[in-house]
Amino acid sequence: MHAASAESPPVMNPAPPQARTLRKLFLTIYLRGRSSRGLKLKTAPKSVGRKLALALGAYTLFGLFTLQFVVNHQPLFALAIYAHSMTFIFLGMFVSSSAGEVLFNKDEADILMHRPITTKDLLWSKIRVMIQISLWLAGALNLIAFVVGVYTVDGTILFPFIHIISTVLEALFCTGCVVLTYQLCLRWFGRERLDSLMTMTQVVVAVAMVMAGQLLPRMMFQMSKSGLLQFNARHWWLGLLPPAWFAGLDDTVAAHVNAGSWFLAGIGLLATVLVVWLAFVKLAESYGAGLQSIGEMVSRPKTRSGSQRRWTEMMTAVPPVKWFSPISRAGFLLTTAYLFRDRDVKLRVFPGIAPMLIMPFIFVFQDTRVMEGFGVAFSSGFLAMVPLLTLDLLQYSQQWQASDIFRAAPMAGPAELCSGARRAVLWVLGVPSLILVGFIVWVVHHHVADLVLFLPGIMLMPVMSLVPAALGRGVPLSLPNEEIKSAGRAMKMMVVMFVAMGVSGAAAAAYKFGYFWWMILGETVILLPVYFGLVAFVSRRRWKPLE
Amino acid sequence: MISLNQLTKRFGQQIAVEALTLEIPAGQIVGFLGPNGAGKSTTLKMLTGMIEPTGGSAKICGFDLKTQPVEVKRNVGFVPESGAVFESLSGLEYLEMIAALYGIPQDAARIRIRQFLTFFDLSFDTLTDKLLGAYSKGMRRKVVITAALLHNPKVVFFDEPLDGLDANAAVGFKALIQTLAREGKTIVYSSHILDVVERVCDRVIIIDKGKLLLDGKPDELVAQHNSGTLEHLFTQLTGGAELERRAEDFAKTFR
Repeated sequence: MHAASAESPPVMNPAPPQARTLRKLFLTIYLRGRSSRGLKLKTAPKSVGRKLALALGAYTLFGLFTLQFVVNHQPLFALAIYAHSMTFIFLGMFVSSSAGEVLFNKDEADILMHRPITTKDLLWSKIRVMIQISLWLAGALNLIAFVVGVYTVDGTILFPFIHIISTVLEALFCTGCVVLTYQLCLRWFGRERLDSLMTMTQVVVAVAMVMAGQLLPRMMFQMSKSGLLQFNARHWWLGLLPPAWFAGLDDTVAAHVNAGSWFLAGIGLLATVLVVWLAFVKLAESYGAGLQSIGEMVSRPKTRSGSQRRWTEMMTAVPPVKWFSPISRAGFLLTTAYLFRDRDVKLRVFPGIAPMLIMPFIFVFQDTRVMEGFGVAFSSGFLAMVPLLTLDLLQYSQQWQASDIFRAAPMAGPAELCSGARRAVLWVLGVPSLILVGFIVWVVHHHVADLVLFLPGIMLMPVMSLVPAALGRGVPLSLPNEEIKSAGRAMKMMVVMFVAMGVSGAAAAAYKFGYFWWMILGETVILLPVYFGLVAFVSRRRWKPLE
Repeated sequence: MISLNQLTKRFGQQIAVEALTLEIPAGQIVGFLGPNGAGKSTTLKMLTGMIEPTGGSAKICGFDLKTQPVEVKRNVGFVPESGAVFESLSGLEYLEMIAALYGIPQDAARIRIRQFLTFFDLSFDTLTDKLLGAYSKGMRRKVVITAALLHNPKVVFFDEPLDGLDANAAVGFKALIQTLAREGKTIVYSSHILDVVERVCDRVIIIDKGKLLLDGKPDELVAQHNSGTLEHLFTQLTGGAELERRAEDFAKTFR
C-alpha cells in the first residue's frame, strides 16, 4: 500500500442535493449506456452523443413531411393531428422500450437500494430524465412543424407557442401512461408476476405503437390524385385518440375556437392531469414495493415450469434438430431459449421485427383489384427479411460477457454456432410466419394460385438469413446492448425494405405479364451459387479479435 | 448496535430466514457463515433495507428498520456480493455520486477518495481515465469497498468482500477491518473463506436453511466441538463431511 499520488487542486463545491445527483446519474447512464464494455471516459460519451445527435437530426428531417400540409392547403388541425400522432408513436416507443430498464433495473438495486434515498426521490429523478429525453425527441420531431403550422390555411402566429405547450403535455401524458401501466401491473398482479408482466407490457405497447405508426396515417389520410395526403376528418373515432386531443388544443388557440376543438382540448388537459397524478403521485408508493421486489428477485431462486422445460427439450430432441452437430444444436437451443424466455431479447426482437410482420397484413388486406397479386408478393418479400433482422438483433444481450465461453470452446470459428442460431430463427419465426400469412392470403383472396407468389420470398429467406454470419455479426448474444444504439439501424431497415420490395415487385410484375416461372428460374440461378458461396464463406470465418 | 428479533423472510412458501434473533455490540467483527442458500445474503439485504422482512423486527444504531429505513441506511455501509457498479461512469464519477447521496461535499469526498486510493495502491489517473466497465474485477471490488466506507458508517456489512482482490489487497483489507473495529465500528463479514474468518472475527454466527445453528467465539466453538479448525466445524454442521468421498467419486468419472 503506497503513499498518495500528487495532490489535485482543491475543490470547494458543496454536496449537490440528492435529487440533482440522481438526475445527473440517470442522464449520464442513458447517454453512455449501462455497460461501457471497456471504453475510456474520453471516447464513450462522444460516440453515444454523436449517435443521439444523428438520431435527433433524422427526427428533424422526418418533420419535413409536414411541409405538404402547406402545399396541399390542409387545415391546421390536420397538421397538428399528424404531428401529434407521430410524436405520440415515437415517444411511446421510446418510453415503453426504456421505462422497464430505467424504472426496474436489477443491478441498480444492489448499488442504490441500501443508500439513504427515498423511493419518491428515486422515481422522480428517473421520470424527469425520461421526460427530458422525450422532450428532446419531441422537439426534434416538431421543429419544422412549429414553423409550418403558421403557414397552413387557417394557422396563426400563435401556433408555435401553443404547439410547444401541447407537445410538453403530450410527453407528460405519454410517459405517465407507461409509468402508470407498470404501477398498475404491480398493484393488480403482484410482485411475483411483475417481471414477466413488464416484458409482456413492453412488447405489447411497442408492437401496438409500431402498428399504430403503420395503420393510423393510412386511416386518417387519403392519397390525392396529385400524390399528396388529404386529411379525412369524418371519422368519429378520431376523438378517441390522444393525438386528436392535443391537436384540439392547438386548433383552439391557433386556428378556430369551436366547440369540437374545445371539447378535444378539455379531454386532453383532463386526461394528462389525471394520468400524471395517478402515475407520479398517487401510485408512487407502489414504486418502492416494486424496487424491493426486484431485490427479492435477485435473492430468491428462479423456478421454471415443467412444461416450459419440456418444450425446449422437445425442440432439440426431434428430427432434424436432433441430427444437427452438437455445436449447431447448442446454438439452436440457446437462440430458442432466449427468444422466448429472456425479457431483454424479447423486448428488442419482437418490436424490432414488428414492421416486417405487420406490413404483409396491410398488403394482404389492401384492395385486391388495385394490387393484382402485388400484395401477396410484397408480403413474402417482407417475411423473407424477418430472419435476417432477428439474427441481427439477437447479437445483443445484457449477458454478452457469457459469450466468452464460445471462444474458450474448441471451435476454430463461429460458423456452426451461427448455423444453429440461423436454423432456430428460420424454424420458430420464419416458417411459422410464412404459413400464417399464407393461410390469411388463402382466406382473404380465395385463390390458391396466388400463393405461388410466395415462392420468391421463400427462396430468398435462407439466403438473407446467412448475411449476418457472413458479415461477422451472427454470433447470438455476443455484443453489449449499447452497441445497438445507432441511427444506422434505421438505414439498415430501409435497405432491407428496399431489397424486399425490389424482389417482390419484380415477382409481381413477372406474374402479371406471364413471366413468373422464368423469373423463378432466374432467381434460382442467381440464389443457388450465392447461397453455397455464403455457406462456404461463413464456414471459413474465424473468431474476430476480442478488442 | 445491531439487534434482530425473530427476523423472518419468506418467498411464497419458501422460508429463506426463520426467526433470527441476535445482538451484536459496537466494535465487534462478526463472521456470518452458512452454505450456499443458507439465507446469509437475504439477511444482509434485509438489514440494509434492500428487501422487506416478512416478520420480526431489527434495529441498527437504535433506528428501527421498518419505520426509519433512511436513518438506518445513513449509518450502514454495504459491499454486496455482486459487486455491481454503474459501468458507464468513471471510478471518480461513481464515488463522487455515492458521496453526494450521503451529503458529503465534493472537496471532502475527494480527500476521502484519495485516502482510499492510497490504501488500495491505485492511481488517481486510473480513477478518472477509465470507465468502471474497463476495470478488472479486483479494481472494481476496491471501488465498491471504497463506496461502502466513504460516508464513515457505524455498521458495515461485507458480503464476500475478498472476491477478486489480489493477495496483497486481501491482507490489507483484513488489517483495515480490524482497524475499523478498534475504532468502534461494527463489522458483519459474510464469507466462504473460513480460515480468514477464523483469524479476523471475534465472533462467528453459522446459519443453515435460514436457521441459527451456532453463535460464539471461533476458538471456543472449535474447542467445544473438538473440530480442530473452523472449517471442520463448518463442514460437520452443514453436511459437508461427505465432500471428500464425493470428490473421489467425481474423479473416478474421468478415469
